[in-house]
Amino acid sequence: MVEAKSDSKVKKIVFKALRSTVKGVIFYGIYFFTWMLLSPISEYVPELQQMIEAFVIVYISLMIIEELFLGTIFQYFFNVTKSLFVIGYLIFSLKGGVFGITFQNVNLTIDFRLFLSAAMLLSMLGLSKSVLQAINYMNEKSEFSKI
Amino acid sequence: MISITTTFFWIFLIAFFITAVYSIKDVHFNIGKTQMSTTSDNKIVLSLPISIENRGFYNIDYFSIKTTISDKNGSIITSGSTLMPVIRKNDEIVINHNMTINATDLLHKNESYLFNDSELIIYEVLGLRIAEMIPIQASANFSIPWGAPFYNFTLGQTRSNAYNDTHLRVTIPISFENHAFFDFNGTIQIRMYNSTDRLAGEGQTNIVVWQNSPYNGSIEFLAKMTDFTDSGCFEVNLQTSLFKYEGMMIPYG
Repeated sequence: MVEAKSDSKVKKIVFKALRSTVKGVIFYGIYFFTWMLLSPISEYVPELQQMIEAFVIVYISLMIIEELFLGTIFQYFFNVTKSLFVIGYLIFSLKGGVFGITFQNVNLTIDFRLFLSAAMLLSMLGLSKSVLQAINYMNEKSEFSKI
Repeated sequence: MISITTTFFWIFLIAFFITAVYSIKDVHFNIGKTQMSTTSDNKIVLSLPISIENRGFYNIDYFSIKTTISDKNGSIITSGSTLMPVIRKNDEIVINHNMTINATDLLHKNESYLFNDSELIIYEVLGLRIAEMIPIQASANFSIPWGAPFYNFTLGQTRSNAYNDTHLRVTIPISFENHAFFDFNGTIQIRMYNSTDRLAGEGQTNIVVWQNSPYNGSIEFLAKMTDFTDSGCFEVNLQTSLFKYEGMMIPYG
């Protein structure tokens, strides 16, 4: 009985690990394809690759951790962290929406504020969804414990 | 359901962003050689042909270019702006960016442009909006040399010899270099005033000067012997197809 229980636990963990690995690989694949399209721009913005890579590393790490904690309250905790990270990272990397670089004698300013607003709204939606899911999870838990 | 919607919007937003940024790579600008022409009211029109080839995924809106030319002290000489409301995708257009300079006004404000080489500061601002969502602005500051059309304008040693019993034939050598980026033709008029400020004589000559070339010539005129003195001053008036400059006083003797 105890052996069967520990077997199913191991299976669960292996399944979670596999799932998170697959998710991570898919996400990395998307990044790889996206980078191929964006690479010509990195000639003008040398720090672009570093910026995107840092984002991808942290995002994939949070995604894997979230997957590993699937079915627990920490899943929502990491989901919220992920959404907050996306919001913070976008504000930080796009310098508040108005991105400026100097190339030789030319000052280039790109206004990403509209894009940033859309991305922030979507992130906020993800954040609120996670918070509501966490509340729902806690409610369900307390109902079970009462019964 | 909300997860699917959010994911769908994220994919749409990221795809839109990437294609918009990727589109910039396929927008090509070509700046042609500056053309110069004159208007009927003697203004110089500098025309810069700009060719824009939009091979990106989206239209380009509000393409604008603004040029401000100022002197070393920051005083604005001229400015010009050109706006193209829409450049459709897979389209190639050529626009002329024009700037008008009133050379006569400019030279009256500061005659050193006529006689001394200098430096002009050009401030260029280029703006456009890609994919109807992302405004881009590029600006650059650079300087270009200004070549004086009458650089080193000099009146040589005045020569005079008897023409008849009452008059002298006066010859005044003139030399200068045209350092300007344009050719010009016109007249140089000289009035000779004696030591009592009385007009002794006047003459004029037609000139045709090519850019970056020296001019050596002279003006001959008759002056009354009784009015001719060893010292006095010349009033020089320059009139060309592009500008007019009057009242330059150069002492002699």
